[in-house]
Amino acid sequence: MSTLKPNKVLRKKVTRRRVLIGLGTTAGVLVVGVPLALNAGRPALVEYVVENGTGPQEAPFNPDLWFEVTASGITFYAPKMEMGQGIHTALAQIAAEELEVKPEQLTVKQADTARGYAGGTMFTFGSNSVNALYTPLREAAATLRELLREEAARQLGVPAKNLTAAGGQFFIAGRRDTLSYGKVVEGKQGEWTLPDKPARLKARKDFKRIGRAMPRVDFRDKVMGLSSYGYDARVDGMLYGAVARPPRYGATLAAATAGGASAQPGVSKVVIDLKANFAGVVADSRTRARNAVKKLDLRWEGGTNVNQAEIDAQVRAGAGVVVRRRGNVGAALKQGTRIEAEYSTPLVAHAHLEPLAALAQVAPGKNGKIEVWTATQYPQKVMDDIHAALGKDREILLHPTQLGGGFGRKAGQTAAVEATRLSAATGRPVHVGWTREEDLQQAFFRPPSHHILRGSVSSEGRILGVEQFTASGDIIWPASMPEFVKDTIGFDPGGVLGLFMPYDIPAYHVTNRREALPVPTGFWRGLGVFPNTFAVESFADELAHAAKMDPLDFRLNNLPDTEDGQRLRAVLEQAAKRAGWRTPPPAGRARGIACGLDVNTASAQVAEVSVENGQIRVHRMSVAVDPGMVINPQGAKMQAEGSVVMGLSSTLHEVLTVKDGMIESANFDTYPLLTLRETPQIDVDLLESGDTPYGMGEPIIGPVGAAVANAVFALTGKRLRDLPMRL
Amino acid sequence: MQLQVNGKTRQVQREDELLLWVLRDELGLTGTHYGCGIGICGSCTVLVDGQVTRSCLTPVASVAGKAVTTLEGLARTGRDGAVTLHPVQQAFVENPLQCGWCLPGHVMSAVALLNANPAPTPEQIDDSAGINLCRCGGYNNVRKAVARAAELKRGGL
Repeated sequence: MSTLKPNKVLRKKVTRRRVLIGLGTTAGVLVVGVPLALNAGRPALVEYVVENGTGPQEAPFNPDLWFEVTASGITFYAPKMEMGQGIHTALAQIAAEELEVKPEQLTVKQADTARGYAGGTMFTFGSNSVNALYTPLREAAATLRELLREEAARQLGVPAKNLTAAGGQFFIAGRRDTLSYGKVVEGKQGEWTLPDKPARLKARKDFKRIGRAMPRVDFRDKVMGLSSYGYDARVDGMLYGAVARPPRYGATLAAATAGGASAQPGVSKVVIDLKANFAGVVADSRTRARNAVKKLDLRWEGGTNVNQAEIDAQVRAGAGVVVRRRGNVGAALKQGTRIEAEYSTPLVAHAHLEPLAALAQVAPGKNGKIEVWTATQYPQKVMDDIHAALGKDREILLHPTQLGGGFGRKAGQTAAVEATRLSAATGRPVHVGWTREEDLQQAFFRPPSHHILRGSVSSEGRILGVEQFTASGDIIWPASMPEFVKDTIGFDPGGVLGLFMPYDIPAYHVTNRREALPVPTGFWRGLGVFPNTFAVESFADELAHAAKMDPLDFRLNNLPDTEDGQRLRAVLEQAAKRAGWRTPPPAGRARGIACGLDVNTASAQVAEVSVENGQIRVHRMSVAVDPGMVINPQGAKMQAEGSVVMGLSSTLHEVLTVKDGMIESANFDTYPLLTLRETPQIDVDLLESGDTPYGMGEPIIGPVGAAVANAVFALTGKRLRDLPMRL
Repeated sequence: MQLQVNGKTRQVQREDELLLWVLRDELGLTGTHYGCGIGICGSCTVLVDGQVTRSCLTPVASVAGKAVTTLEGLARTGRDGAVTLHPVQQAFVENPLQCGWCLPGHVMSAVALLNANPAPTPEQIDDSAGINLCRCGGYNNVRKAVARAAELKRGGL
């Protein structure tokens, strides 16, 4: 059984031959790109993607990283999607460092199929963007800087070593004048050639931008309402589409006619395609399209009638695939103090505030060109889905927009396929924007999980053995993996993230069970990290109490003497220090601690809680996180705070239930999210442990639930083992 | 019918439509967002005669003759073309949220709050901002931004 090692980057070095350069389409423009073969992040997911033929691939004509230099500045086409995580800012910061430009001299644009498109690399997932691009981007930017330096030296008639790059220009030794990058490009005649030697990367001690706060490159537009998201995409003459939805998951359209829909005001077309399970309406306004869809005459057949109790019964830990077997658990559990506990987490939604949306414009003819604007984490999947729906020979121009949140749900974009179908049928540009009800119900969800743990501790507070059984609905497997592969591997790779206790346990036995559920389940921020860490870090706390030890001391006592163990120790001690763990909490409050390691990022959290009017109130969260190395402390802290808030929302509120084959909640009135008033003080300390930046998007959500549960236990003596927590 | 939006008179065709869709789809002011359609999330928030209003629940006919202000109407453009952000916008640039889809709620609520109360207490800030969701979890930056905006506004920005 191989263990998963996230974030090992298999990357071809940027060599001289691999850098593409050209003069662009007009004089005075220098274009530099680097085709990369990235294979990073959660490897099992990547394997799946490769299996499907849409994964990381060489893009010989479309460089992954594309800089355009003109007299007026440098444009960087970011090969990752901006969904609020601040990736465009972080990448700009990395590029600006090696380019020796001020951030304001660098314009960041989203790479699209016209500029810098890179199928696999653009998939934005698994907290891997900075980790995967940190070195290649620096190499590309440094190459561009040296290219400009050599050309500047030639134009000035001085040796290249006499030129110092800073602020987007070259300072010339012994002279007062300078030459800007733009002027170098303007003055260039003939072909560009790459320097003979690979460009030297800057030493970390010389960094001026990386590691310091940098303002978000996209936020001024956002506060002015000028940023364009998928829901905001517009072209002249566009119409609006709405699509009929099945009343039960898995139901298919057995029969459909326009019914009264065609006669509704403003309706220009009813589009029915039974083979595609599709019925939709195009109208001159969104409201009219939505109203008309209700008048379609539809007969849905089949699908599931499942109810929540059946799903609960299906997701039961027990038999499954052994994913870790170390030592003799049976013998270990007969020694010391033995405890057993069961935990569960529910089905939940992503609830990004921008529902799915896309605009499509399809040119006439069987192979008419398709232009699409949409908010997606995974543009290549959008293109593949459109090709599958409308024919693979069509050219697609894809313009990824800003995302109003993603959290895994926008891996792909169903609305883009719907808009494309409706546009192809009408010959007009069509925008499809989902309602909240569609977005919440016609989604895929974080699957429910169930965990049984048995363990024993010695009187010295050492864990002797743990036997762990976990069941989860599928996470990665629902994304069209062949059944035989699922059966062969036996467990869902997403379900084992965060699964293993990070402690030195002489006898440790873990069994994982995957269940294909009748409701759609899939990627949700961190995949298994939140449900699994809730269970194992709650259990670690129970073991600490069984050993009659302070929960922090117990963890420190049981961490292995490995690099991971040392990094966890550091974040635990820092979070405890920030929270005042060794001092009594304010009256009526108690603290709980939890930690976790995901995508090589270590984090620990202390929750300080009280119970007021029978409700759990979280007053303070002290977070320490070691992501290896920090690019933008401001952005990293936002990611940590956001993870805590989303984790608290899952801990205290969020649960979906299924009735007659459909999610019962349809909007925020019955699916409440954590509010501002419930949001505690959140202190974030960033620790660094090396020169490699790991992920910040998901790991920190892991320990939130357990930290709160452990604090509630410390306060009330009541152990809450099921989410969302109910006292 | 006619609508006063961001100081300009705009002609509106769809008199039976909700204000949100008129702003976005008819007038092209896509800075006001759709999030839930039931007035909970706040992404559709505008000011109507200075009052915080959920445009997703507001029939456009009901705001005829009233002044509608959206996110796009807050910044000032000088004669030289230079754009000066509203103090609330400036404060949110300094204390950003993440994806920004919820900004209309947080920004417009803060603008209304500070117009009525130039020096709000933290409790008053929570009361005003707390009616809006932020799924990315930037609530503490909302608190900081509103306090900072009050400071900027008092400083005469």
